[in-house]
Amino acid sequence: MSEIRIESVNKSFGDKLAVNDANLTIHEQEFLVLVGPSGCGKTTLLRAIAGLGMADSGRITIGGRDVTYLPPRQRNISMVFQSYAIFPHMTVRDNIGFGLKMNGVDTTEISRRVNDAAELLHIEELLDRRPAAMSGGQRQRVAVARALAMQAEVLLMDEPLSNLDALLRLEMRAELKKLLAEVNATTVYVTHDQIEALSMGDRVAVMKDGVIQQVADPTTVYDRPANKFVGSFIGNPPMNFVDGALERSPGGGPVTVKVGEVSLSPDPSLDSALRTIDGDRVIVGIRAENMEALPDANDGAFAVDVSVVEPLGSQNLLTMDVAGHRMKISTHPSFPVEAGQRLWIRFPGDKIRWVDPNTEAMMYG
Amino acid sequence: MANNNEGDSGEDPNRGMTGGTPTAGDAEPIQAHKPGWRSRMVPYFLIAPALIYLAMFFAYPMFQGLMLAIFDDDAALVLVDEPSLDGDEIERLTQGTRLNILGRQGNLLTDQSDATDLLTEQWFLVSGEAADGSEVSGWTFEARVRVRDEAADGTPVGGTIRPRLGAGADEATPLLAEPNETSDTVAELEQRAPVSIDDIAILEVWFQVQAAEDPSTASGWAPSRFVEVFDDEESGRVDEGSVGEFTTGFISKMFNDSFFSDAWQTTLLLMVLILPLQFVLAMLMALVIDARLKLGSGFLYVFTLPMGMSDLAVGILFFSIFTGNGLLNSILEAFGILDGPKTFLSADTIPWIIFAIVLAELWRATSIVMVIIVSGLQAIPRETLEAAELFGAGYWQRVRHIMLPLLLPSIQVALILRTILAFQVFAVVIALGGGDIVTVLANETFRQYFEFRNNNVASAYALFILLLSMASAFFYLRAVRAQTEVAKT
Repeated sequence: MSEIRIESVNKSFGDKLAVNDANLTIHEQEFLVLVGPSGCGKTTLLRAIAGLGMADSGRITIGGRDVTYLPPRQRNISMVFQSYAIFPHMTVRDNIGFGLKMNGVDTTEISRRVNDAAELLHIEELLDRRPAAMSGGQRQRVAVARALAMQAEVLLMDEPLSNLDALLRLEMRAELKKLLAEVNATTVYVTHDQIEALSMGDRVAVMKDGVIQQVADPTTVYDRPANKFVGSFIGNPPMNFVDGALERSPGGGPVTVKVGEVSLSPDPSLDSALRTIDGDRVIVGIRAENMEALPDANDGAFAVDVSVVEPLGSQNLLTMDVAGHRMKISTHPSFPVEAGQRLWIRFPGDKIRWVDPNTEAMMYG
Repeated sequence: MANNNEGDSGEDPNRGMTGGTPTAGDAEPIQAHKPGWRSRMVPYFLIAPALIYLAMFFAYPMFQGLMLAIFDDDAALVLVDEPSLDGDEIERLTQGTRLNILGRQGNLLTDQSDATDLLTEQWFLVSGEAADGSEVSGWTFEARVRVRDEAADGTPVGGTIRPRLGAGADEATPLLAEPNETSDTVAELEQRAPVSIDDIAILEVWFQVQAAEDPSTASGWAPSRFVEVFDDEESGRVDEGSVGEFTTGFISKMFNDSFFSDAWQTTLLLMVLILPLQFVLAMLMALVIDARLKLGSGFLYVFTLPMGMSDLAVGILFFSIFTGNGLLNSILEAFGILDGPKTFLSADTIPWIIFAIVLAELWRATSIVMVIIVSGLQAIPRETLEAAELFGAGYWQRVRHIMLPLLLPSIQVALILRTILAFQVFAVVIALGGGDIVTVLANETFRQYFEFRNNNVASAYALFILLLSMASAFFYLRAVRAQTEVAKT
């Protein structure tokens, strides 16, 4: 009973449209991650759900109830803030119990739920301390405990890990994911970190310039991005893109794409889509780990000179120019390569993503 | 010269290169540049003018001013064993002691700087022809010479010896070695002998005195400037002391002053009435501004406008409202509530005066509290308040549970400031209460100084206000710090 529906929500600050016609349904008990570069409107959308910044138009419902213009406390939600927003003058115990106290929960119930929440986050020994002397990680735990103690059906998280150092963030990511799987709340989690998005979310909504670009499970978002932006934003290194020339055979034969000297043959199911592209250009996208690096000349492979080799332990990251575009390709550490070496690169047909250069949308059969 | 410079600059890089490992040829090993004492002293040089300024124009005058309250400059008159500044002290008499005057004698006037009340006598150094025809010279009392010649500026230059009157009088006038009755006689002059006046000495009269009420005390000498002589020339009193002493007299005089308890109670009453109202109002005004309404900055301007007005002007403004044909009477009459003008500000309507003062002070001084609270409010992170809102706190719950506790340091500053200013309330009271009907501590300070010309009691009042201010600041610092410390640990 806590499905969140966002229908045609708009929100602008002055001339700037921060959220542009957002439509999104977050299923009950789902963990949805809103991800995008800074300024993309993800936090604005979250605040519209929270009621901290009302939408200009559109409708937001939680569990079927229209909450678009309700104040936050009438929405049955709880939230973890980016700055944690712990109350500095209260003990941890009072911080965690604050929401319950404000909602008139009786004191024995408050202390039970405060203790439960503190136990979940392993901060029982901090309960009677004040936040001033605590580390960032401890405050973060207090903020999460405070949100969980509410046992609200909707849990909102605004970049909760962004103020932690890298190691702690990695640790917290897994812990938070496990924790949130246990609490069964519908969770909306905002982050600018695509790895966080992929690793935590049941589904990921990618935003750019106030527009939701794609909503899908992490694998789909990674493997079948909806457009060039999603491909380049999700994944590290980002998806490689290179220009190709469309060669539509006049006899109605299959369309081929020429990249440099190499001719690529798209899947026949894409034929009609490729034919309708306005112009003779198509963008070819491929992920670093999906290319095949060959030590010897091979048909249908690009001859390239490796300019940089970055050994990353589990893989080597090679930088090179393919048909005038800088590309990154990852190879297994056992593949012998050094800077300046000549290699041959092959694009496996099923790993290539085709982008309409006019709309930047990816085409799938 | 040019060659020399070139040689130097050519050497420097070499030295820099080998600096790490000094070789035998390197007479001077390169050392890391340490700031010299000069550069370390720079901050002190910079702050020195401020310290000097502080000492000269703040610390010193304040010390001097406050000393007035506890130090009596002329508490006692020192009697010495001979009519001379070198005499040894034999007795101290407090100011006002009745005296019997036992003798008088001139003494060289050494210090004329504050010689206003002193008695003086003049002695002339005269020379003339003695009875035996020899030329003699010596000092004689002014009254012994009848001045007949004067220089252009009025200085006596010549005359004749006066004849002595009365039976059995020695007809000759003695000339003394020094302008002092006790010195040796060096010659005598016949009466009416012409003399030239070669020098003039101005002597201060010293009195030999004894306390009249207690004849057992020793008698001693004192300069005339400290003694008031009564008409009979045989009695007098200690007019002012010659030495200072610490005293609680001025402070007890202040406490016993008939206006003191009025002033003190009114000051406290005004504080008790004004401060709580002021803080509630200031908090509300700050919340209005913090709500960032459409006209938010307009509110800020309107609220802070009175800060730009002098407190006396505000007092006069409110006087004009409450006066006989002032705004209040006009309105009350216009609405038919009053038939004729009511006198609000008179000795019979002191509560009205207090009310007017409270109103004027609220109008005038609330905005400074508000400004402090607004700045405190704006220092509270937005997310903290949003968190409170999200977790179910309504507006007043946010004020009560989040804003007020986090505003404590700001409120502390404002409290200290306002309490100190409340002890100093003055101009508004003068304007509305005239300074007699309703009086406050600052008004009594003013009155003691300007009306009664009693610097010492005025200073005692000032000291009292200072101590009250310091005590209240100390109290607030302790009381509020105790809470903020709890909030931090």
